[in-house]
This record gives sequence, structure tokens and C-alpha cells, in this order.
Amino acid sequence: MTIKIWKFFDREELYECYQCARCTGSCPAMEVTAALGPRGTILKCLNLGHEAVVQDEKVWFCCTCNVCDDRCPQQIPISDLLVALRNSAARRGNVPGRLLLSLELLAKTGRTMIVHQLDEMRAHHGLAPLPPAPVDEVRAILKRAGLEEVLDF
Amino acid sequence: MSEKTLPKAPRPQMNDLRIGVYVCHCGKNISGTVRCEEVARYAQGLPGVVLARDSLYTCSEPGQEQIKGDIKAHDLNRVVVASCTPRLHEPTFRAACESAGLNPYLLEMANIREHCSWVHLHDKDAATEKAKDLVAMAVSRAGRLAPQTEVTVSVMRKAMVIGGGVAGIQAALDLADAGYKVYLVERSGSIGGRMAQIDKTFPTMDCSICILAPKMSEAGRHPNIELLTLSEVTGVQGHIGNFHVRVLKKARYVTSECTSCADCISVCPQLAPDEFNAGLSIRRGIYIPFAQAVPSTFMIDMNICLNNQGIVACDRCFQACSKKCIDFADRDQELILDVGTIVVATGVDVYDPTSLTELGYGKFPNVITTLEFERLINAGGPSSGELIRPSDRERPKRVAFLQCIGSRSKRSNPYCSNVCCMNTIKDALLIKEHWPDTEITVYYVDIRAFGKGFEDLFQRARREGVTFIRGIPGEIIEDLATDDLTLLGENTLLGTPYRSTVDMVILSVGIKPRQDSELLQRLLNLATDTDGFYMEAHPKLKPVDTTTGGVFIAGAAEGPKDIKDSVTQASAAASRANILMSKGEVKIPAITAGIDPDKCTACGLCARVCPYHAIVGGKEEGLYRVIAAACQGCGACVPECRFGAIDQTHFTESQIVEQIDAALAGDPHKKILAFACNWCSYAGADFAGVSRIQYPHNVRIIRTMCSARVSPAWIERAFTKGAGAVLVSGCHPADCHYNNANQNTARRVERFWRRMEKLGINRDRLRLAWISAAEGAQFAKVIREMEAGLKTIKPAEIENAAKKLFREANKKSDAT
Repeated sequence: MTIKIWKFFDREELYECYQCARCTGSCPAMEVTAALGPRGTILKCLNLGHEAVVQDEKVWFCCTCNVCDDRCPQQIPISDLLVALRNSAARRGNVPGRLLLSLELLAKTGRTMIVHQLDEMRAHHGLAPLPPAPVDEVRAILKRAGLEEVLDF
Repeated sequence: MSEKTLPKAPRPQMNDLRIGVYVCHCGKNISGTVRCEEVARYAQGLPGVVLARDSLYTCSEPGQEQIKGDIKAHDLNRVVVASCTPRLHEPTFRAACESAGLNPYLLEMANIREHCSWVHLHDKDAATEKAKDLVAMAVSRAGRLAPQTEVTVSVMRKAMVIGGGVAGIQAALDLADAGYKVYLVERSGSIGGRMAQIDKTFPTMDCSICILAPKMSEAGRHPNIELLTLSEVTGVQGHIGNFHVRVLKKARYVTSECTSCADCISVCPQLAPDEFNAGLSIRRGIYIPFAQAVPSTFMIDMNICLNNQGIVACDRCFQACSKKCIDFADRDQELILDVGTIVVATGVDVYDPTSLTELGYGKFPNVITTLEFERLINAGGPSSGELIRPSDRERPKRVAFLQCIGSRSKRSNPYCSNVCCMNTIKDALLIKEHWPDTEITVYYVDIRAFGKGFEDLFQRARREGVTFIRGIPGEIIEDLATDDLTLLGENTLLGTPYRSTVDMVILSVGIKPRQDSELLQRLLNLATDTDGFYMEAHPKLKPVDTTTGGVFIAGAAEGPKDIKDSVTQASAAASRANILMSKGEVKIPAITAGIDPDKCTACGLCARVCPYHAIVGGKEEGLYRVIAAACQGCGACVPECRFGAIDQTHFTESQIVEQIDAALAGDPHKKILAFACNWCSYAGADFAGVSRIQYPHNVRIIRTMCSARVSPAWIERAFTKGAGAVLVSGCHPADCHYNNANQNTARRVERFWRRMEKLGINRDRLRLAWISAAEGAQFAKVIREMEAGLKTIKPAEIENAAKKLFREANKKSDAT
């Protein structure tokens, strides 16, 4: 399936970038891992095409803190680009396993993680058991967001 | 619509008209597409035409001789040349007419090359028919042409230079040396400007004040220059050759007998940040801006003086002054100065990086700007030329420069500030020269070393060990204990992140238009570009002229530039002003507006739309009148008059109406009538021709000087005559050659749209388009779109709309 990522992000914006790297300098993901970095992502989209970028697992390293957006002198909505790329990546099956796992869990239980003996722990601290998660509502949202194309649930 | 509602102009009787038509082949340029002989034969049959010829090159010497000979032999009283654009050869043919004794304003041109043969290359029949139409339009307009004499106005042989930076000083000296009296108006206490603040200049590494100070003192003692410091222009009246400028000269409180002995300084109890040292040091309440200041007279800052407002709380400086030159009774004065020309050299402000919080300027003491650095490293600066960092006054061992701060950014200034790259390289070399062990890193995006000797300097900096890293830090972190700074970023060439710690960071800040540049813009009717700098009359061929006659620009007020370019431009501006003043008079093209005093009701609407304040008068006088010397001939006032009292010479109502009627004489419902302004849209259509961009042939273009001349009555007339569509096109809103007169165009077209909607007429048939002289493709696109829209409209609908408009117009004219 081909996805038009430029439907969600105006491609013209990319040409505003002159690679000053203020974004990468502000990127917390770059601090801890060899992420693509916002500048690298834009350059790769321009030079190699986004097809190559969405194959790369590194598009998932962005933590959407939006600092690159704030500091970009050209006011390019970089985090919008990253979200659009990840949408595209997901639809091509490029989703990290752990992320898929928690998505599946979310769809099934309404929560992204299961904590062992949670209710016992809560009781130990004098807290009432957690109310049931609104699974149907969560599933409706996930459906609306098009998650069915990525995941069976 | 009946003829009676149109202003009447004397039209020569048909048998009085003796029009000669010349259809040019232009080699194969026109005749390759248009059958020129057929067009000439057609022209022969038009009313008033006594002779029509076609020639291979009408602009050639034999071609011109032919016209001259015919004027004499056949007693021609109008000449129509169908050839290229009037923007090219109108002066040629006007000169030919004049030399044969025919008034040059009796020439009319039909543009059958750029607007016809070149854009309809593949349809000879249609192109020939269009050429016939264009010739018929020109012939009908020619019948209404009247001889004109160009008015001359005298030019006063005095000049004013506003701004006493290096550009202003240079312009003033050039004009003064040429023998003119010059008023040099400077806002601060001394001339010198930004250049006086800078330590060294690039690429030669000259000492800045050493080369500037001689010029400053020359300007100070020049017999032809009257120096007005602490002075500001507050009002400008008049026009080219005769400006009356109001100048507010603020009180200095120290007389010119001051010998700048500085005895007063030590006794003054009041302190303030020293502006000249970028706030890095303090000065007293009585002070001189800097040691080399011209005039070398002290001044009192009344904002902090204890003796303010006549309350004598302190007179220590008065007591200390042995020459008794302190005068607390000094008052602001208002001067009215009459000058013939004005040079604007108001310079620039420096970008304040405080708003870029991630860089910590203003929060971390060791982050400074390049201007502050210039003062720090200058021997006359606060540290006497020692490089120290503000937090502990120790010499920094590791220095980082950050480029493009406040430039090339939509968050601040979108343009490149032009000087910062070379300034940083120069500063880096200065540090290396004095303290070679200093580690210097320059974080840049692109190094723009474009000028003479710039690349050499860049290479030298690299050889001397300055490190250049491509990638601006995203963030600066301060170490609270040591005040050292850590830069986080990415080396984009290596593709690796860096985290480097330095002792001091210098932000290479950009430059921006003066904060209050709008004031002078309003007073002098200047135009500004999208960045806020004053705009030149033409970016290539009139780089120091402004859109206001007699006013010139120099230096960075026109756009970011270095010292050399500022001086070059200042000399150019002075020379342009000199040309006007040495001639002593100036000819105004006879395209000005004129008001019929009998019809004028003194409502004042015209004066309100005039972009040049050229219309004066009032209710008391009972009428308004146009000052011909100030009128630039845009014609924006003409459609504004509800009483038909105004008309524009050489672009009269009756001339244009003739053109409209001729254009729509046959098959009007298939045609697009286009009004194009001389400077942008007509030139854009010309450009489409030069680029051979093909577009539908049913468009007929009528030229006006400004789109604001286009009267709603013309649009109405076109539609009542059954025109399929009408295009009104002008310069892009900020680029209007007549000081945004085209905002009137937009207003009038919008009003016409509303009228169309009210009458149930398809408003898409009237289009407003902004097309610049470079947008030939855009012009072609607009015409193609309009043609496509026209295809969907049935002739019956056009006829119906024409009737509705006609009825409504008649109802209106009956009411009045």
C-alpha cells in the first residue's frame, strides 16, 4: 500500500531547511541514541526520498518533545513531519516489536502495560483496586486512528 | 451607457486627423507570425489614417528617416508605430517625431511583438487579427492625443544628508566638495555611526576609527557642511528640487567653546550605561560619546542630570568648567531648512538575541554579541583592548563564535545580514593575532565570503588554526561554578553530535532596519521592502534612487551592507543628487494629473488617495489642485473623483475609453480586456513575449502607469460593450511603484465585485491579479485560466449582464 505522507505534511516546508542543525543540537533523543535527528531526517527526505526514511527503524527514536519545532529558525513543523513519517512507516510494517506489543495490549486491555500483582500492591498502600479501563472506548479511538491497518485486534 | 456620462475631450474632426501608421516586421520576429502587409492595408482603411506602411525595421535609421520624411511630406499630425513594446522604443520614435517637428506626445505605439507575434507563434490568422485590433486601438487613442510640454521645476542647490554614519559622511563630503551647501543631520551627539564602534575592518584589518576619524573631522570643519548633531527630521514638505525640512535640534547644554578638557566629568555625580561601549561601561551625566567625537563638544544627558527642569540641585560641572561653557538655559530648537535634494543614510540597528532563550544571552554573563566584542577588543573600549570575559574578568582560553544569530530566520530576520561571516573571521583573526594560544571555534551554517579579498581572509583564519564547524548549537548550558559554557549541537559534515565547553561565546548577531525607520519612510514617502529596508527605485538600474524624486538612499538603510559598499553607495547617491542640482532644473514627464477648478467641489477624496501628498487645497480654498512637480503620474486620484473633475495627462479618460471601444468593436464576448500597469504587469506580459510563453490570443491589453488608474467606469464600459472578461493587473501589493497606490485598485475591484454580485452577474468575469515584471509565466497562466472560465459562459449571459449594468448605470446618472 502506498501512503501519501505529504497529505499530512506540506512538502514545500522541507525546502526551507538550510541544515543549520539547531534542531539536532536541541534533540534529547540524539543525546541518548544514534537517532536520525531532525536535520538528518529532513536531508534524507530531500536527497533519498521519504521511501528510504520510512524503512528505517530510527524514525521511531523521536520522543515528540517538539523542541526542534520551537528552535527551528525557519519554523518548519518538524515534529509533524516525524509523525507523518511514522504513520507511513507503521502502515508498511516498520513498527518496533515492543511498540506493537503495547499497542496490542492497549487494544485488548485498555492499558499499555500490565503490572504484576498490581491490585495487591495498591491494597498494600491502602489504595482501592484500579477501575476497569474503558476498553471499548479505547478500541473505538484506535479504529478511528486507523490502527486496524497495522494491527489485528 | 450613454456618451454624456463620460468626460468630454476635444476630439479633432476626422478630416483634421492625419495619422501615419507604421507596421514593423522586426525582421522575422513579427512578420514570421503576423502578416504585416495585411495589417498595414487594414490600417489604411481606419478613420483618420492617411498613410500606412510596413517596413523591415522601423527602429533602424532608414525606418526613422521614413517617419520623419512622411511627417513633413504628408503633413502627419499623429504617428502610430506597431512594433515592439513601448517600454523599449517609445523614446526612439518620440525623438524621431520631435526632430521632424511633431510633438513627441502625439506618438502612439501598438505592441504587436511581445503581446502578439511572440505569444501566438502557431496561429498566424489569429495573430494577424489581433495585430489589426491592436493597431485599431492605437489609432483610436492617437486621435485623442494632445501635444504636451514637459514642465521644468528649478532645483535648489542645497542638500540634506540624514544620518551621520560613514555613508552619510561620505555623501556629505562628496556633495560639499562639489560646491553645494550640505546639512548633515545626525541623531546622536557625534557623527561616526556604527563604523566608529568597530575595532578593525575586514578584509584589510585596518583600524576602523583611524580611517574614519580623518573623514569625521573633515566633515566637521568643511565650510560647506553644516553639522546638526542631536537633531532629528520631524517634517518634510515640498517636492523634488524644493523640500522644506523641519529639523528638531535638541539642546546640548554645552556651548561650542568646549575644549573637551574633561574637567567636568570627574565632578559629575550621575552615572549611566555607556551606549557607545554597548553598555559594557558607564559614563557620567555630562560626557562625550567617544574620544574622537565630532563635534568634539561635551553634552549633558538631561534624563539623568540632577539639574533637570530648572531645579538647580547640582552645578558641579558648571563650577568645574574653566571656560564657563555649560549652559543650563539651552533649549531645543526647531529649524526649517530648504534643500533641493535629500540623501537618506540612516543605517541599521543590531539584532538583540535576548529572545533566543536557548542561547542564554542576557542570562549567562559570558555570552556576548559581536558588537560588545568589538568594544571589548578595542583599545578605547572598557577593558582597554584586553580580551576578558565578563563573569570573572579573566582572559578566555576557549572562545566560540555562533553565526547567523537573528539572520536567515523566520523567527527574526529572514534575510542574510551580509556582514557577520566576515566580521567573525576578522574577529577570530584579531584574537589569534594578540593571543595565539586561544582556541577558537566558529559554528556556522554557510560561510559567505563573497567579496574581494574575503576568501583570502577566510583561508587565512583556517591556516591560523581557527576551527570551523558546520552546525549551529541548539543549546548553551552554563556551569554554575565556573561560568563556563557548554554547547550542544551536531557537526553536520561529520554527522556526529558534539558537546564542547568554552569560556566565552560570541553571538554573531545580524543587523535589521532601524526601529523607527517607518517615521522617515512616512515623511519622505519612501517604499520599504518586505524586510523593512528602504526600497530603491529599481533594484538594478536605479539602486540609489527612491520612488520619491530628489530623495536618494545610501548605506545599510537600503539593505545590509559592509563599509565599502556603504561608501560606494554614498558616493553614487551624492553623484545622483549632484546631477539634479548641477542642472538646476528637472523636467517632469507630462503625465501628471490635473483638476478642473470648475468641477471640483473640494471634497478632498483625491488628496486622501494621493501617495505623494501632491494634491493640496481645502474647503477654505474651495478647491484642490495638483502640484505638478510632486505628482508622479500614477493616476490613482482620477477614479476617486465622483465629479469627473480630475484627469491624467496623456492617460485621459477619453483616450482609454477609445481604446476600450476599439478593442471590443468586433466579437466582444469572446475577448478578455486586460488593464496592465506599466511597471509590473505590462512588463510581465512583455516578459511572457520575450520568453515565448504561449497564451490564448483573445486578450487585448491596455497600458496605464499604475493599476490604480483603472477606473471602475472602464470596467463597467467594457462589460456593457459585451466584453467576455476583464482583467485588472498590477504590481504585487508591497512592490507598487507608486507607494502602494495599488491598494486603491484592490479596493475598487472589490467594490465592483460586490456590485456584480448584487446585480447577479458572475463575478469571476472580473479578475484582479498581481503580476510582477518577472512573472511572464504567471501572466500567461492567468490568461489561460480566464479563457477557460470564459468558455463556460454563454453569450446570452454576457448580453444579459451588459443590459443590467447599462440600466443600473443610467439610473445612477439620472439620479445625479
